[in-house]
Amino acid sequence: MGARVRGARLVAVQEVRIRLRTGRWKALLAVWALLVNGLGLLFRLSLESGDHGDDDPQGVPMFGGVLLAVLALCLLITPALTGQSVNGDRERGTLAALQLTRLTPADIALGKLAAAWGTGLLVLALTLPCVLLPVLEGVITPGRAAATLAVTGLLIGVVCALSQAWSALVARSITSVLLSYLTVLALFGGTLLLFALAQPLTVEPRYYSSSSGTRYAYERERPELVWWLLAPNPVVVLADAAPRLPPHIETDGDVSTSSEPDNDPLGDLGRSVREMRAGNGNYHEGGPVWPYGLAFDLLLAGGAFWVTTRRLRTPVRRTAKGVRLA
Amino acid sequence: MDRPSSSAEHGVEARGVTRAFGTVPALRGMDITVPYGQVTALVGPNGAGKTTLLLILATLLAPDAGHIRVAGHDLRADPEAARVHLGWMPDVFGVYDQLTVDEYLAFFADAYRLPAAERPRRIRALLALVHLEEYLGQPVHVLSRGQKQRLGVARSLIHKPRVLLLDEPASGLDPRSRVELRDLLRSLAAEGVAVLVSSHVLGELEEMADRVVLVDHGRTVGEHRMGDLAGAARPRWRVRALDPGGLAAALDGRPEVGEVSELPGGCELGPLTEAQAAGLLADLVARKVPVVEFGPATGALESVYLAMTENRR
Ligand SMILES: Nc1ncnc2c1ncn2[C@@H]1O[C@H](COP(=O)(O)OP(=O)(O)O)[C@@H](O)[C@H]1O
Ligand SMILES: [Mg+2]
Repeated sequence: MGARVRGARLVAVQEVRIRLRTGRWKALLAVWALLVNGLGLLFRLSLESGDHGDDDPQGVPMFGGVLLAVLALCLLITPALTGQSVNGDRERGTLAALQLTRLTPADIALGKLAAAWGTGLLVLALTLPCVLLPVLEGVITPGRAAATLAVTGLLIGVVCALSQAWSALVARSITSVLLSYLTVLALFGGTLLLFALAQPLTVEPRYYSSSSGTRYAYERERPELVWWLLAPNPVVVLADAAPRLPPHIETDGDVSTSSEPDNDPLGDLGRSVREMRAGNGNYHEGGPVWPYGLAFDLLLAGGAFWVTTRRLRTPVRRTAKGVRLA
Repeated sequence: MDRPSSSAEHGVEARGVTRAFGTVPALRGMDITVPYGQVTALVGPNGAGKTTLLLILATLLAPDAGHIRVAGHDLRADPEAARVHLGWMPDVFGVYDQLTVDEYLAFFADAYRLPAAERPRRIRALLALVHLEEYLGQPVHVLSRGQKQRLGVARSLIHKPRVLLLDEPASGLDPRSRVELRDLLRSLAAEGVAVLVSSHVLGELEEMADRVVLVDHGRTVGEHRMGDLAGAARPRWRVRALDPGGLAAALDGRPEVGEVSELPGGCELGPLTEAQAAGLLADLVARKVPVVEFGPATGALESVYLAMTENRR
């Protein structure tokens, strides 16, 4: 146990040190922070200028919009951070010497994953000023911010693990970076596409008898059969995992009506996937979707980590075509 | 450190090692013994399978068949145990260019779990050993190719291995560094390390190695003590005389001296064994040819190597 932690930490520290000394990391990170926070503030200003009723705090849509954008951007940056962590070392001829030391394959995989994930979390942390502005305004509770940031952080880790596995499986680092991007695309767009294609297959005929006795036939889709196809989507996981805002209470004389809060992208998305889970004809929400999605994504990441570890084992039996071992 | 089991007489014992890449056989049955306290040279033409054999001995590549013991540990049963006693330097390798020379070695010291208290002394000693002391604290990327090669040697020695495998360590080294490498390997052997060096630079091996294992087309074609080679070899000989015309006349019409080719001030002839050469020299002197130089044109190892590769062509 102690040895595993020590080995992984040694590899992680080494990775971070090398990353920090390669290229213009500080400049890149500064540009990233300026860009994201600047765009976040611009988004807020445009919300304010289109604002009509002043009882709707613009912090709510800002938080949701910025967070979804941050999730997408972070998951697009991550493959570039991790997509060559194993085969890049192999190409540079530094991996084999490492494999011969007393570091185990799991030490190496874990250390590299920790370094990549840590970098991803740093990238996320740089977006905090504009993500947390609505919290400082008191519009978003710290609990909601913490939960959504934790989920975003986990999803970054998932993409790190998947990219790392590609870098361990594929000989060329260009190929593995490309495959990592395709994987992210599959999580975002592929799940949507599958859902859109699968939903029409659930159509079933329904009959309706009018009071005069005439029977009418009509068709109904049954999204409750295929909602799970959407669950692994990072956007769905994040939106549905965000704790709900308190309902909007409107008092008109003695009558007070409660409605869902307006302009909350996260809540709207979460509600619509839960409605799909409940199915057509049910006017209440279904159960939460995000635990299934997150569990699936984490399982995928666990499998990817296992693949990476296996591919780092020596002696190697099968070698890829035209690839030097050392 | 745990000692290898006492039954281990040799650093490396490999029998019948085979390995194919896809359908292409790279090793078709290699045998090799690397005794402790000696430098063994692994010699063969390009594509003979030297690098493949070294990768297998270094526990990086699995053989298809064969029995291999390294430092007394069966590689099939327990590669991890062998690794602890094994130092390896590949023919081409990368160093972490972003690190300093001592950070690089410290990283590997940690990876081999050297006690932290021992680390600085060990790093200093190794840098002195490979003549890189003045680069302590310098980034690795300022080193020349030959200096990086020496840093690689230092890295492979960080955990005091009992078996050292070096793949073409002399390539890219200037003459001075080669002499230093030779002295380093000799001193390691003197301390009891089993050293295996693959190389093309035959001239140096002759002074460096105690034994030579000749390989070709994935097979071991000979294992010799370096001292025995000189007697067995039939090199060509270089003869120079003050009177080249007289020398040519004395050699004319004598098929037993082999093919004679003219050189400035003399000729090259052979191949002849040492005994035949001594006989010829006595004869030339008896005929009053003013011989000023008479010696093998190639080293013993080189002539054995050339004969081997010629037969196989
Ligand atoms: N990864 C590999 N894939 C396919 N063939 C290989 C691979 N590595 C080596 N070979 C082949 O195996 C043979 C032996 O190569 P190698 O061990 O590098 O020879 P040497 O080091 O003696 O020059 C060569 O024919 C080479 O083409
Ligand atoms: Mg080679």
